[in-house]
Amino acid sequence: MKKQVFCPSTVISPLQAGETMRVKMRGFAAFTKKELLESVRTYKLFILLAVFLLFGMMNPLFAKLMPKIVEAALPKGMEMSLAEPTAIDSWSQFYKNIPQMGLLVLVILFSPMLSGEFSKGTLINILTKGLPRKTVIVSKYLFSSLLWSASYWLCYGITFLYTSLLWTQESVSHIFPAALFLWAFGLLLLAVLIFAGVLCKSSYGCLLFTGGFVAVLFLLDLIPKVKKINPIKLASDNLMLLTNESVLSDWTWPMVSCFCIIMAGIWGGVILFNKRQI
Amino acid sequence: MKEIMPYIPFLIPYLILEFGLAITALIHVIKHSEFRFGNKALWIIIVLFFQILGPICYFVFGKGEE
Repeated sequence: MKKQVFCPSTVISPLQAGETMRVKMRGFAAFTKKELLESVRTYKLFILLAVFLLFGMMNPLFAKLMPKIVEAALPKGMEMSLAEPTAIDSWSQFYKNIPQMGLLVLVILFSPMLSGEFSKGTLINILTKGLPRKTVIVSKYLFSSLLWSASYWLCYGITFLYTSLLWTQESVSHIFPAALFLWAFGLLLLAVLIFAGVLCKSSYGCLLFTGGFVAVLFLLDLIPKVKKINPIKLASDNLMLLTNESVLSDWTWPMVSCFCIIMAGIWGGVILFNKRQI
Repeated sequence: MKEIMPYIPFLIPYLILEFGLAITALIHVIKHSEFRFGNKALWIIIVLFFQILGPICYFVFGKGEE
């Protein structure tokens, strides 16, 4: 009986194309399964889901209760006029917390994605058994974006639910597209992170690289011509979309450049990883 | 307090999750004795007194390799 889980490429070549594909897919599936198990055992899955769930509940509650808490904390006789919170306030909490805290937690959790494997030498075994290096990068990227998507949309769903229970959301426009843009920015960060992972040896290096990348995006935002296509818009101007200060067509170019950077990040990561000594 | 009462059903799942996170981390700290830095007492304090951020910090930076 032939058993081919991770065949070296020399063994694969005489096989039929379909068989090669199947072997590749099996390697991919096995590696992704390993990623899933790892994320459960290192509590990554749990933390990410719990934190984003907490944020999801916190956004509307914080918006609703903050004026009451401030009122209660003020000494008697002191009057402070606070506007009655609206659904927009809840979403402004969402677009304040997720780009700051949420993305920070995401990047910190996934920063040892590749460097951890390098330092422990766990990739050597599976790579010498013939798992293509490309598969490692693609599988890691897909798995991390899957986790990000699950936790992000969970957070969005909870905020949406709470907001619609506490207020009416008629005055808020483009709720879904605005959320979609922030999600795309998360995918972009993960692509940058995986590229940084191939480039740097330590997880702190990855963090620094990704932080530097975001800082550069912020700096580029100062140039009017670049501002129109800068993907940082996807994470910073979402609220303008909700209040109709921005139209959807403004977001086409940032989305295009975001997509290009994701592709470049993964492609560059694969190329560098092929050349890298493990 | 009276004003907060209507929001109790919204607050309960939040509190459950927050404490769940803290308790999971606390159990992990108590069961293990190896940390990347710091000691058991330090991590117990961090995990219990810094809501949300404490447990995250523990699992990301403090947890030792098994």
